[in-house]
Amino acid sequence: MLCSLIAPGARLALRVKNSLTMPAWLLAAGLVMTSFSPTSAHIVPPEELHPVAESYRRVSFILNLNPVLWPQVWSDLKRVEEALKRVNSPGAKKFSEGLAIARRVAQPVATGDEEPDMVVARKNGSRLAFSLVTRGVASLLISRLDGIKADSNREEVKSRLNEARRISQAFADALPHLDPEGWKRLQVHWLEANSNLGVAGVMGIGARPMTPEKIRESIAFIRRYFHSNFSGFRAGKEHRLLPRPKTSETYIESAKVPWRLPPGSDINKQLPRPRQILGMAERGASEAETFLIALGDMAFDSAEIFGEPARSLGISCNTCHNKGVTNPKFFIPGLSREKGGMDVSNSFFAGHANNGLHDPLDTPDLRGIRFTAPYGRNGRFASLREFVRNVIVNEFNGPEPDPMVMDGMIAYMNEFEFLPNPKLKKSGKLNPGKVSEAALRGEKIFDRKFPQMMGGMSCASCHIPNANFVDHKRHNIGSTGGENQPFHVGGLDTPTLLSSKFTGPYFHDGSLPTLRAVNEWFNTQFKLGLSREDIDDLTAYVEAVGDGVQGIEDTVYTLESELEEFKFFLSTYDRLKQRKKRELISVLLKTVVREVQAHKWDVQNKENLPILNEMEKKLNEALRAHLAGDVKMTDHKIAAYHTLYQKNQDKLK
Amino acid sequence: MSRVMRFIRVLSPKAPGVFLPVVVLLVFSALLFASVPVHAGDKELRVAFIPLENPEKLISNVKPAMNFLEKEMGRKVRYFITLNYSAAVEAMISKKADVSFMSPLPYVLANKYSGVEAVLGEIYDGKPYYYSRIFVRKESGIKKLSDLKGKTIAYVDPISSSGFMYPHDIFIRTGLVNGGLEKPEGGFFRRVYFAGGDQQAINSMVGGFVDAAGVSQYALNLLRPEQRDQVVAIEQSARIPSHNVVVRKGLAPEIREKFIVAMMKMNRPQNRGLLRALYGTDGYVRVGHSRYKSVADMARKYGFLKE
Repeated sequence: MLCSLIAPGARLALRVKNSLTMPAWLLAAGLVMTSFSPTSAHIVPPEELHPVAESYRRVSFILNLNPVLWPQVWSDLKRVEEALKRVNSPGAKKFSEGLAIARRVAQPVATGDEEPDMVVARKNGSRLAFSLVTRGVASLLISRLDGIKADSNREEVKSRLNEARRISQAFADALPHLDPEGWKRLQVHWLEANSNLGVAGVMGIGARPMTPEKIRESIAFIRRYFHSNFSGFRAGKEHRLLPRPKTSETYIESAKVPWRLPPGSDINKQLPRPRQILGMAERGASEAETFLIALGDMAFDSAEIFGEPARSLGISCNTCHNKGVTNPKFFIPGLSREKGGMDVSNSFFAGHANNGLHDPLDTPDLRGIRFTAPYGRNGRFASLREFVRNVIVNEFNGPEPDPMVMDGMIAYMNEFEFLPNPKLKKSGKLNPGKVSEAALRGEKIFDRKFPQMMGGMSCASCHIPNANFVDHKRHNIGSTGGENQPFHVGGLDTPTLLSSKFTGPYFHDGSLPTLRAVNEWFNTQFKLGLSREDIDDLTAYVEAVGDGVQGIEDTVYTLESELEEFKFFLSTYDRLKQRKKRELISVLLKTVVREVQAHKWDVQNKENLPILNEMEKKLNEALRAHLAGDVKMTDHKIAAYHTLYQKNQDKLK
Repeated sequence: MSRVMRFIRVLSPKAPGVFLPVVVLLVFSALLFASVPVHAGDKELRVAFIPLENPEKLISNVKPAMNFLEKEMGRKVRYFITLNYSAAVEAMISKKADVSFMSPLPYVLANKYSGVEAVLGEIYDGKPYYYSRIFVRKESGIKKLSDLKGKTIAYVDPISSSGFMYPHDIFIRTGLVNGGLEKPEGGFFRRVYFAGGDQQAINSMVGGFVDAAGVSQYALNLLRPEQRDQVVAIEQSARIPSHNVVVRKGLAPEIREKFIVAMMKMNRPQNRGLLRALYGTDGYVRVGHSRYKSVADMARKYGFLKE
């Protein structure tokens, strides 16, 4: 009955490693530790972004997208407006007027027969909103500084100064690139001002006096910079909206500003990780002898096969399909609607493939993907290969992939197995000795035909139990689009129910949080007349079908298995060399270098970090040698990496 | 009106009038006090927290740990955030607070002048101590302390242990910097800055606004992984006893013991999630004042303590 969801996407993950088992207490301790990592607070808690700076950075990102997620923009601008109201009434009034104009321009209402030009509206609206918010943030910052008077006491000065500095972090994504000299001078003045605050000491002991005149000098510089550049800021015709400090003598007009994901983004892998099972591991195949699978695994983990900006941001297939499954935490404001998904046909990752719609999709689980064709939520690709190529080239702006990479990725993905589920017999029927009475009652409901559901269908009509709970067809169940959408547009591929217990949220857009919510949706949508008890039973059934042995790994320490995986990746080097795949060797080495850099901080005993630094160094040297065409040196450095790893393997956990 | 009285009047919603000149207290009072000690009752334990970046968040984050403490001790627990270390100490002197959280240097000063006593030490990575380090950018070419002559350094705060006294001591011991803490440049640095926090100090160094940062070893964790690769520690301080939990002078021995036992129970795996809010420690060990002797010695060396 879950006709909506899980048609496979095409970005996947690592290979199976049987997780290390450990006592429960150690696991619990590990969970605590992991929640601190990588920015373990200890005695130096991380600074949090000021709410206004957070809104500014987010809105700066979203206003550069196409389409623009206007509700989020207005919400962030409201936050700036509220902050202004608290400190600068006239400024707030002006801001509110500007906000009303920006809204009218960005989202015009049709008058008479004339349809507004929405492209012009978006462009002009974005420009107005960005100009307004830049002026607003500068005004707030200046207000905080202006509030510091000659007779202000230290705590008041400190509080205002600190807040102004935190607000100025709104510009920290862009100004260090647009005006590095100006930014540096600003930072030195913040330091000067803070250093001249003095200190109250403890009971007066250790107290140092404040030196107001020095603080005033620094404040004057900072104020002048923001006032002259941003108090009357108007975004120009440049392609990308940025706070360009055009009155600064050191502004670099041609500066390239790298993309950073906005506050609220989370692209970290989930911990503990989902359990991945690869068929090859189950068959006992040697990793070193499964070249294509190893190559595909490496490519799946590699941001190098994508184009910009995904590549620089370190986004790979594995980011969303962590270990070939999902990433329930994944979120990028402006691109995601629910956690665990995003709009992959947006202008951000690949401008050429923008479809002009904000249509985020829930990331599908790729377990058992070889059994679940067609591909794409709407089943538009019959071939997994075509689908994967589309992800690389069109969704993430990558170069045309080498055929060997494509072969590798398909070989790798074809190894993804469903979780073993003793609750099911081979026929797909429930195993009565292993499930509850409720689940058995639910199975009967699942098999029951409902005249009111698409001409007398049952849940099992589409989710066929002896066919991996799919029918390889598309159905329009009414879960997409509005009333005016043509019927054929809303067809979605039938997702499998296997292993689904671990991969919420559900439906193509991730709009339903639980399997129960899905059952309730169908009950309402098709007026099935199921009672609360029936829903309980049906949910028990679907959860039994979607269950699996150890869906989540039982360890949070991943370095050991990651390093083994890098060895697996590097096992492809010799064959790539034989085939003269120079470009792929670059991808391989760059990928492993980046992975070692990312994972070395997970080492439990930090005293062993230098070993990992040395391993990283060997790989970097191998990469340099390879790029210089020195095959012998590349061989030598890769061998040195392996030797170091082998010698210290026991310490690298 | 004493500072203690000002503090109390702002804390108390029943106070007839707030003492206005201490404007910042007004600001803070609106933000910080989710639960405030109005009356000193023998049946309560009153916990004073030192503010971090986001006091509002701190007060909501510590709630589960305080609930746990209340249950374990069988005693009502009231908790609040003070303006700074001085306010916490003053609250303990006037018995408006029974326990608080401190870093080593403020603690030895508070002990000397108010009799508060450390009973629990924090644990970081399994150890009840840590170090301060001098960090520089790898690409700066600075390899040793003497390379910093004529350059700039960012510390945290003039009464910070790992963020000033200990890293400053590194330069004093090596004879590079002369003089006390009043003129920390000491004829060696072009300029010494106090950035206000570990993150601000280390970020100033990474960003190239200063040449070095003298901060806690854990400041490194505040950088993004790729930034951590850009920096290197060129020197390490003497060992610093960890931050601690202190009790006020005269707190009844049975309450003090119950408090210690309850806090130690947070070390159990099932309770360790509670620790995250308590300044991110990994756990606690029992300590006595003697553990902080080395800090007191150094505080004397630099004139914080007179005898």
